[in-house]
Amino acid sequence: MTTPTAPDAMYRNDEGLGIWEHRGKVAAVGVGHAPTSRRWDGRPETCVGAITIDALRKAIDDAGVAPDQIDGLVIVPVTTTGAFWEAGKPLPMDVIQSFNQTDDPLDGIAKLSAEWLLANMPELTNVNFTMYGPGCMSNALNVTAQAVGDGLAHTCLVVKSWHNFEGRYYQGGANAGNALPGTPAITQLWGGPASYSTALQFAEYCRKYGKAHDMMAPFMENSRRNGLRFPEGYWAQHRPEELGPEDYLASRWIAKPANLFDNDIPIMMSGAYLFSTAERAQDMKQKPVYILNHASSNTRPRSLLPTLDEVEADTALTGRKIYEGAGITADDLSFENMYDGFSLFHQFHLEGLGYRGIKFGEALDFYQTDISIEGPNPVSPSGGNVGSGRSRVWMHTDCIQQLQGRAGARQVTGVKPEVGVSGGPMPLGGNYTVWSASPD
Amino acid sequence: MSETEEQSVTILISFDIDGTLEVGDPPGPLTMDMVRLVRDKDFLIGSCSDRTLSSQRALWQDHDIEVDFVVGKHMLADVKDRFDADVYLHIGDREDLDRQYALKAGFDFLWPDEAVAHPHFQPDI
Repeated sequence: MTTPTAPDAMYRNDEGLGIWEHRGKVAAVGVGHAPTSRRWDGRPETCVGAITIDALRKAIDDAGVAPDQIDGLVIVPVTTTGAFWEAGKPLPMDVIQSFNQTDDPLDGIAKLSAEWLLANMPELTNVNFTMYGPGCMSNALNVTAQAVGDGLAHTCLVVKSWHNFEGRYYQGGANAGNALPGTPAITQLWGGPASYSTALQFAEYCRKYGKAHDMMAPFMENSRRNGLRFPEGYWAQHRPEELGPEDYLASRWIAKPANLFDNDIPIMMSGAYLFSTAERAQDMKQKPVYILNHASSNTRPRSLLPTLDEVEADTALTGRKIYEGAGITADDLSFENMYDGFSLFHQFHLEGLGYRGIKFGEALDFYQTDISIEGPNPVSPSGGNVGSGRSRVWMHTDCIQQLQGRAGARQVTGVKPEVGVSGGPMPLGGNYTVWSASPD
Repeated sequence: MSETEEQSVTILISFDIDGTLEVGDPPGPLTMDMVRLVRDKDFLIGSCSDRTLSSQRALWQDHDIEVDFVVGKHMLADVKDRFDADVYLHIGDREDLDRQYALKAGFDFLWPDEAVAHPHFQPDI
């Protein structure tokens, strides 16, 4: 079985598609996370393949499903954005030989394939549907929801994992060479740090609306506070450090006005969910969380970097697509978990959604109000990547757990958790999911 | 610098944490007892790290070590302005974030493994 990448037809990229045809008929039930770490320590049991298996097995167990009932697996094959196995570095043969291998010796170490996972999870005897959702869990979730809705699988696992090696992030792989083909030659090889484009957009945002970077401090403090209540996350597990205004504002610039903490910390992690049909989900161990819609943005900027105007136009479009397919309005959102890694674009997502009625240019003022989980307007109750490290997964886990009433110390109390939205990554180019405690 | 010379000048040492101190992530070769040693020699000491200021303070407090400053990586020049010393030394494990910042701020620089062997970190005989 060769795993294909999800075709474009599986995504809801356009406005005007109407209510999603599978609205309320697909549900997330099980959640599984492997322990996090800052970097891989070289042991077989902590490689990205091993932690992925751990997360998947936990999701299966959490849902209370027998492994032989699972017939689908959707994964993100890429497990890093900036930590690459150095060319010429000896392969870790002891690790490789600890697992059943595919043709690629770095499978399970610096990348993942569905074939590798199935070869090392013998209990998954009935998986006959596998697919890749490129990039992020947000993408893979869209694929999984559509696949279950379309009947390609009835009980489907979805997983996203990250590896992190020693050394400088983003400075290995192709970036270590002297040449890159096409646009990356300018944006990566000779460009600024990864947060550069977001920093430019944020700088223009501050100029346009008369705002300042220090207005981000309450959002950052709130996000880390929420993250420290996320026991699956890096900061909660390893370095329970708050991120107060003094801490945040004293940090050095990476790409001014993006400072160190506006950039998320790379970690090792794996997060997995078990999806099923709404009907089957009724008999599983956890309360089903229903998918009301999934929506995507595949907008391409006109030039190398999206302008603020393009960002605002596209986040507004995304907001309309999210609501249209789910058959809801902004007023129906109990909370939002839009992406935050880089933190400086979270407000673009918020304003595009019109969360709590805010308009373009108002999010930073909104951050100065009560955005806590105890208040009426919870912002990023997951804490996102600011709160738990680079994964692009926390926001989705939190939506499921909030709506199941299993978010523990992070549970929103200022609102009744009924409908949540999560997704990302970038304002231009992302995938979004609307979650609901009820199928209606 | 001889022991006598060491006692007659004011020495300020800035410690990076991760990759430098034993309590860093990753751990470095400089032990907290070595830090206590230079503290007891009346050196001015502190940390210069990408960790938050509050977590740097908490780290020193947890190890019952009184420091004179905690700053971010980019703030070594401020340290030099704040403290009058004869020797300014930063110890860290990164070329870009430690050595380059240190030299730019007018500090001397030692890699952690060099520092371990330096007379500053040897007990007075």
